[in-house]
Amino acid sequence: MRYVKLPQENFEEFFNSLKKWGIVYAPVKKENIYSFQKVQDVSEIALDYTRTMLPPKKFFVRPKDEMLKLKEGHWEEANGTEPIVLFGVHSCDIHGLEILDKVYLGDPVDPYYKKRRENSIIIGISCMPDEYCFCKSLGTNFAMHGFDLFLHELPDGWLVRVGSVKGHEIAWGNEELFEELTEEDMKNFREFEEKRANSFQKHLNKEGLEDMLDLAYNSPVWKRYERICLGCGNCNMVCPTCRCYEVCDLWMNAYEAVRVRRYDSCFMESHGLVAGGHNFRPTRLDRFRHRYYCKSYFDPSAGFNCVGCGRCDEFCPAKIEHVKVLDEVREGLQ
Amino acid sequence: MTFQTHDARILEVKELTSREKLFTLRFVDPEINRKFKYKPGQFVVVDIRGFGEFPISLCSTPTREGYFQLCVRRVGRMTKYMHNLKEGDIVGIRGPYGNGFPMEKMEGSTLILVAGGLGMAPLRSVLWYALDSGKYEKIYLFYGTKAYEDILFRDEVIHLLKHGEDMNCHVKLAYEVESPSCIYLEKGYSPRVCKGVVTDLFRGENFDVENTYALICGPPVMYKFVIKELLDRKLSPGRIYMTLERRMRCGVGKCGHCIVGTSTSIKYVCKDGPVFTYWDALSTRGLI
Ligand SMILES: Cc1cc2nc3c(=O)[nH]c(=O)nc-3n(C[C@H](O)[C@H](O)[C@H](O)COP(=O)(O)OP(=O)(O)OC[C@H]3O[C@@H](n4cnc5c(N)ncnc54)[C@H](O)[C@@H]3O)c2cc1C
Ligand code: SF4
Ligand code: SF4
Ligand code: FES
Repeated sequence: MRYVKLPQENFEEFFNSLKKWGIVYAPVKKENIYSFQKVQDVSEIALDYTRTMLPPKKFFVRPKDEMLKLKEGHWEEANGTEPIVLFGVHSCDIHGLEILDKVYLGDPVDPYYKKRRENSIIIGISCMPDEYCFCKSLGTNFAMHGFDLFLHELPDGWLVRVGSVKGHEIAWGNEELFEELTEEDMKNFREFEEKRANSFQKHLNKEGLEDMLDLAYNSPVWKRYERICLGCGNCNMVCPTCRCYEVCDLWMNAYEAVRVRRYDSCFMESHGLVAGGHNFRPTRLDRFRHRYYCKSYFDPSAGFNCVGCGRCDEFCPAKIEHVKVLDEVREGLQ
Repeated sequence: MTFQTHDARILEVKELTSREKLFTLRFVDPEINRKFKYKPGQFVVVDIRGFGEFPISLCSTPTREGYFQLCVRRVGRMTKYMHNLKEGDIVGIRGPYGNGFPMEKMEGSTLILVAGGLGMAPLRSVLWYALDSGKYEKIYLFYGTKAYEDILFRDEVIHLLKHGEDMNCHVKLAYEVESPSCIYLEKGYSPRVCKGVVTDLFRGENFDVENTYALICGPPVMYKFVIKELLDRKLSPGRIYMTLERRMRCGVGKCGHCIVGTSTSIKYVCKDGPVFTYWDALSTRGLI
């Protein structure tokens, strides 16, 4: 890894230089919600944001996404994408994207996802946890790869980690904006990280989590939550690792159709429905439990399917807390 | 081009029952035709352009080249479109997908095919493959059907009831609804045809469990009973294969619909299956 320093006075120029790499999206605050939006000016960015409602997955697996276009009876690949720069992505979301990579770049490669990933630049930014974050418990609080540049806040600027060839190119093109790191900077960086590590209020006990959950298949805790959960599927929509999709064809006019995919949720009754009206997850209990199993599945090559971003807690209208549910299930076993 | 389909022409449409039609297809591009290789138990995704896609098992056998067949039950929107298609019409096909049955591994063994209703479709591929290749010790087909009118591939089943023994193929049929045709069949082929459910067909049969594989496909309720029957006879869980159905959209492990299991074992029916052994079912909750 290469480490350089971006002094605060050069920050704006650095930001502006990113525009030549693609359309820049960054977290913006609207009322009480943050979201990744197109930005022109540094002043628009909410640098100290906690989490956006939709994670950056929305750029790669879009809520509604054209896959194919029907032209004269044949499908053609829908248009590719313009290059984008995602500015200010938190570490947990970078981990989230890496989990999606496993799925979408695994054989056979999803061409839409791949094209968009290749056409994107990821610039990470350090953050401070709020009451919902539990990424530290999952080891996703620090990203070692999956970004091009990562900016860590210093009192007088940013410590920049260069994480890819593209990141090197960006730094190279802006060489005059960067400085070498001093001992003082390293000390500040370490202090920030230490402060951050000590600020987590929520902790997930992941000790034997998969096995514990599997053993608790019939736990009464699931039944209790079945009654609280509204089955709205919000938790799926906002999760950086949820990626179930539904497909349908839409006619634009008498001659042209498109094949579109859109987010689906395992909380919808139709999710497990097959021919003959048989449903493999007929009750809300089945569906609620399924989500926890899916999120807590440990893939040896990608880790858990949860990065601890806290979105499902913040945006659950029933105020159901992910970690609390898991803790209660665990307690029920003892 | 993961989701692009290839043009296939419908060569023939045959009405099998009031709900099921058999479609015989061939790719328009001869090159793709030649390259299209599949295994019994695999499936394709059929694309009716501008209307949608749906997964269907291949019910023909790769031992007969130049065409492939799909048996489609009309249950909803897409399958209704399919049923409206005629000879000469074009559909899109992508695949084959899924793992299929391990036909080579089972060579030299006895195969017990247990089919319930539409489960006959993928097992017909196995049946024909086994008959064509002649590499299997003995083949049993236990087929449970609702009524005479619902028997899929009725001509073939009756032909095998008549002549199967000559090919080491032992066919048994259980029906639930009595009718003159069933009684006629029962008279001719008793005790191989009887009123009852598919597990009734195991009565009086003995297998060398060391050298037998069971292959099951049918409605969800069937698996539990059939598996119990097989386990009672001491067939090892590793010798019990079953092919499963889940809602599928992508067929290649992306859309998430077919995910089953719990935190310790998650499986995609589309790419880890649709063929699983009973060991898989024991370690993956919700599989059956
Ligand atoms: C691996 C596999 C092999 C199959 N093989 C065959 C076969 O050989 N012959 C056959 O007739 N059918 C087969 N099916 C079932 C077939 O895919 C569904 O009947 C078909 O998708 C229903 O589509 P529809 O639009 O007509 O029904 P819809 O109008 O969508 O709905 C009718 C019913 O079918 C269910 N359904 C919808 N889409 C799917 C789907 N993709 N997978 C499963 N169920 C669905 C709905 O939940 C509903 O209960 C197979 C399914 C799978 C997964
Ligand atoms: S967001 Fe909350 S209420 Fe809605 S489905 Fe998820 S857990 Fe249930
Ligand atoms: S399950 Fe909740 S906390 Fe975990 S990644 Fe998804 S939204 Fe974030
Ligand atoms: S069918 Fe899409 S993941 Fe299996």
